[in-house]
Amino acid sequence: MTQSPDAAGSSQPVAAPRPYNPPTSRSQPPQPANLADILERVLDKGIIIAGDIRVNLLDIELLTIKIRLLVASVDKAEEMGIDWWRNDPMLSSREEGLTEENRRLQARIEELEAGSSGDSSDG
Amino acid sequence: MAEPGRYLYAVSRGLEPGALAATRGLDDARLDLVEKDGLVAVVSDVDLDVYGEEGLRSHLEDLAWLERVARGHDEVVQAVAASAPTAPLRLATICLDDDGVRSRLREWHEPLRQALDRVEGRREWSVKAYTGRPADAPAQDAQAAPVTGGAGAAYLRRKRSQTDERRAAEEQAVEAASAVHAALAAASVASRLLAAQDPRLTGHEGTMTLNGAYLVAADDAEAFVAEAERQAADHPDLQVEVNGPWPPYSFATLDQP
Repeated sequence: MTQSPDAAGSSQPVAAPRPYNPPTSRSQPPQPANLADILERVLDKGIIIAGDIRVNLLDIELLTIKIRLLVASVDKAEEMGIDWWRNDPMLSSREEGLTEENRRLQARIEELEAGSSGDSSDG
Repeated sequence: MAEPGRYLYAVSRGLEPGALAATRGLDDARLDLVEKDGLVAVVSDVDLDVYGEEGLRSHLEDLAWLERVARGHDEVVQAVAASAPTAPLRLATICLDDDGVRSRLREWHEPLRQALDRVEGRREWSVKAYTGRPADAPAQDAQAAPVTGGAGAAYLRRKRSQTDERRAAEEQAVEAASAVHAALAAASVASRLLAAQDPRLTGHEGTMTLNGAYLVAADDAEAFVAEAERQAADHPDLQVEVNGPWPPYSFATLDQP
């Protein structure tokens, strides 16, 4: 698993990363790191370590909706049968989280309904 | 600044002190290195009025603010990744003080070390493929409609054949994208498929059929890009776009301890 130890030797200054656009990207002007590329990485990837400030990015409803709109053209892609990200553990874990929350809420509703219907058995 | 907190951008090791001299943090703050047991967190002060739990909750709803923070975060991560192995942290990882930062480095030492091992000497490349523009198909419109049936029937026939053609083209594009991905996965150390992006953001009219992230040894970058170009040439029906190198956002992940 560990990389060969030559990495220590190769730590001389590397040229700063730059957007690369080969001649194969035809017709469109090069776009240096578009917003969607950055957002999908800084919001959806990267190391998750809980800090002292607890903010679950996924709790932020409006943000989630907007980002979904911006980052994932899900409908169109699914229509075409492109759904491989469903198997991406990082993305599907979010969905599992929502499913779990959904389940909890439904259980709670049933509980409440059971409670109230027990009381008000109107004839 | 009211009460300052410590915003964490990335964890690294062997980062030379001068490496970030030309880089500033969010809101133009000075970058500091907090070290613990050979791991170093790149941090800066942030105002907890803005970056506290309440502040973040409301600010994150503001896309312009989010974009500024996302780009600022990425800029620092890029600078770190240019000089040392880097594990980028997710946006808005914030501790109250340096002791908090150090305790995270201690707590997550082993998984962080392993993550850095995985990405050391490697970079992430993004390769996307789009279907071509929706066909203008002037040639087809010019085709003489068959004589049988009226104008309405001819119209419906033409419509149907256009739909069929589009569907066939889409299927072909998906297959081509899978082939491109397979070839690039073979040319990289690891690969991940990301969700397709909306055309409103990418500026492409065609549908994104591939949004792949590939972890490539720094020494193999040229060969990888050459492979991507070869794939683009082999699949003229796709527009292939290569971007990078990125810091290894998609590959620096923690194995749960």
